[in-house]
Amino acid sequence: MRIVVAHKWAADPQEAIVTSDGRIDQSRAQPCLSEYDAVAIALARGLADSVGAELVGLSVGGPEAASPLATKTALARGLDSILVLADQALASADSTTTAQALAAAVTELGDVALVLTGDCSIDRGARMTPAVLGGLLGWVTLTEVSALSLDRTSLTVERELEHGRQTLVLSPPAVLAVAAGAVEAPAPGMRDVLAAARKPVRQLALDQFDGDWGPLGQVQDRTLAPAPDRRGIVIATTDPTAAAAELIARLERDGLTWAGRP
Amino acid sequence: MSRLSHVIAAGRPVGRLVERARALGGPVLGLAVGPAQVADELARTGVERVFWFETGPDTPVEAQALGLAELVANRPGHVWAGRTAGERVLLGAAAAALGAPVLTDTVDLAAPDGRLVARQAVLAGRVWQTVTFDRPVAILLEGGSAESDDSAGPPAPVEPMAAQPYALRQTDWRPTGRAPVDLKAARRVVAVGRGLKAESDLGLIEALARALGAELACSRPLAEGLGWLPKDRYVGVSGQQIAPQLYCAVGLSGQAQHLAGARAAEIIVAINSDQQAPIMSEADYILCGDLYQVVPALIKALP
Ligand SMILES: Cc1cc2nc3c(=O)[nH]c(=O)nc-3n(C[C@H](O)[C@H](O)[C@H](O)COP(=O)(O)OP(=O)(O)OC[C@H]3O[C@@H](n4cnc5c(N)ncnc54)[C@H](O)[C@@H]3O)c2cc1C
Repeated sequence: MRIVVAHKWAADPQEAIVTSDGRIDQSRAQPCLSEYDAVAIALARGLADSVGAELVGLSVGGPEAASPLATKTALARGLDSILVLADQALASADSTTTAQALAAAVTELGDVALVLTGDCSIDRGARMTPAVLGGLLGWVTLTEVSALSLDRTSLTVERELEHGRQTLVLSPPAVLAVAAGAVEAPAPGMRDVLAAARKPVRQLALDQFDGDWGPLGQVQDRTLAPAPDRRGIVIATTDPTAAAAELIARLERDGLTWAGRP
Repeated sequence: MSRLSHVIAAGRPVGRLVERARALGGPVLGLAVGPAQVADELARTGVERVFWFETGPDTPVEAQALGLAELVANRPGHVWAGRTAGERVLLGAAAAALGAPVLTDTVDLAAPDGRLVARQAVLAGRVWQTVTFDRPVAILLEGGSAESDDSAGPPAPVEPMAAQPYALRQTDWRPTGRAPVDLKAARRVVAVGRGLKAESDLGLIEALARALGAELACSRPLAEGLGWLPKDRYVGVSGQQIAPQLYCAVGLSGQAQHLAGARAAEIIVAINSDQQAPIMSEADYILCGDLYQVVPALIKALP
């Protein structure tokens, strides 16, 4: 039995440079293993150990997803092996195309009881890939999963929803998106990093699979998002009381009043 | 391309989505998932028909993803849903069945000549792009009630669907007891981040919120991971997206993923000890200092 963790090698949008005409320059942004994917791997490792399953990482993306840095970074988190589907056509793929590639790889792999994912990727953050993947596979899909346990025929899942904690029972296979704060994901130690270098990496090629992997829409133009002009007024805080008075006075000048507060 | 739209309802109001879907000019069908009340409410939003996928009290809406996707596959069209966990899973299943792209963070949508033209915010809201589609799309948008009241006409007919749900059962539910909050309705918001040293210090920030007449919000790590506040209080790409008159960020760095949810605020105040924090370059009033000194002074000074 296999447990798969889908994870993405992607760059933080904070690090991209956007020019005044809306061009996006990612050349200085370093891709990384999304923070939330590390949480999913940590949770999956515990689960795989508890049932003696094999833990396989699955990464879909542009050519850099297959780089030794990318695969070793994920393997050092505790995966047993990794499967990569890297192709230029998938470099900036949307959630649906990414999910289609993941579904093709999961089907090729076979004997998969569960696919876990992070809450969302660092670059797009759409939180939709697990939902589309579950739809493509025809498997139960749940998100915001904070804990889970598995026995031969049933899976118990806990979710931390906005206003309560829910326990659910279902039978595998399933796609589960792990909540951002489900478990701690400590940085790998030297031993994990050394072990990662010896773990198997298998690559799939996109042309093994049928499908049209082109973009689903045509981008016509990009512009800098309109943002209100911020005044950037610095209020010195060496004297907190004076700072407080100045801020309040300025807010009052902006039209705020303090009457009628609840 | 078909101009048909489907609007998914799974327990939250979606009148606003129906309104947006109707604005595209095509017929709008409703897909209700949940108890009868969900179907009845959807029938009064201006949709032509409602297909109802019933779920019992111990079944989450995700159990009906497959049946809903099958229906959409047989009647291809755009599919609309709100942003909650259950709505996302239903929308994803529909997108899978159609091979449709999922549009998140849509600013604007039109269908001038049968094609769909979407303006989207990308790169954590830093860039807007215009994209055209010649196929059905799945649209994830903030739900909510319609702006104009269109409930005058007779309700649309409701047709129960007999789809086989996934075997998925809730065996326990423990409410947190914390009341839901509508951050979007708040004119003033005080948001706190990891600059707060301990959960017990939340009282200080609550006192500031009270003094300002503001609602309390936070960064994502405070709601998930630390768990000091419920998830409906965190602001950002993956959380609440708000446009209050005043947004006061306390001990919060203002990474792109956070600011994507607050950038539309009219006035931004930043209280942070780090001059280099990203929030400092997106604020109207910058108080560079220790929140444990500035916040008590503010509370004291407010009339
Ligand atoms: C895919 C993805 C999606 C995400 N979505 C969201 C989202 O929707 N919303 C969100 O908020 N985050 C989101 N994040 C996380 C985001 O990237 C940041 O990590 C997070 O917002 C930082 O939270 P913070 O500002 O509380 O903490 P930090 O970044 O740690 O900032 C704490 C700040 O407090 C200041 N500080 C410390 N001590 C004091 C003091 N005594 N007085 C004053 N200031 C002090 C520090 O200078 C610092 O700037 C997402 C991340 C990823 C990867």
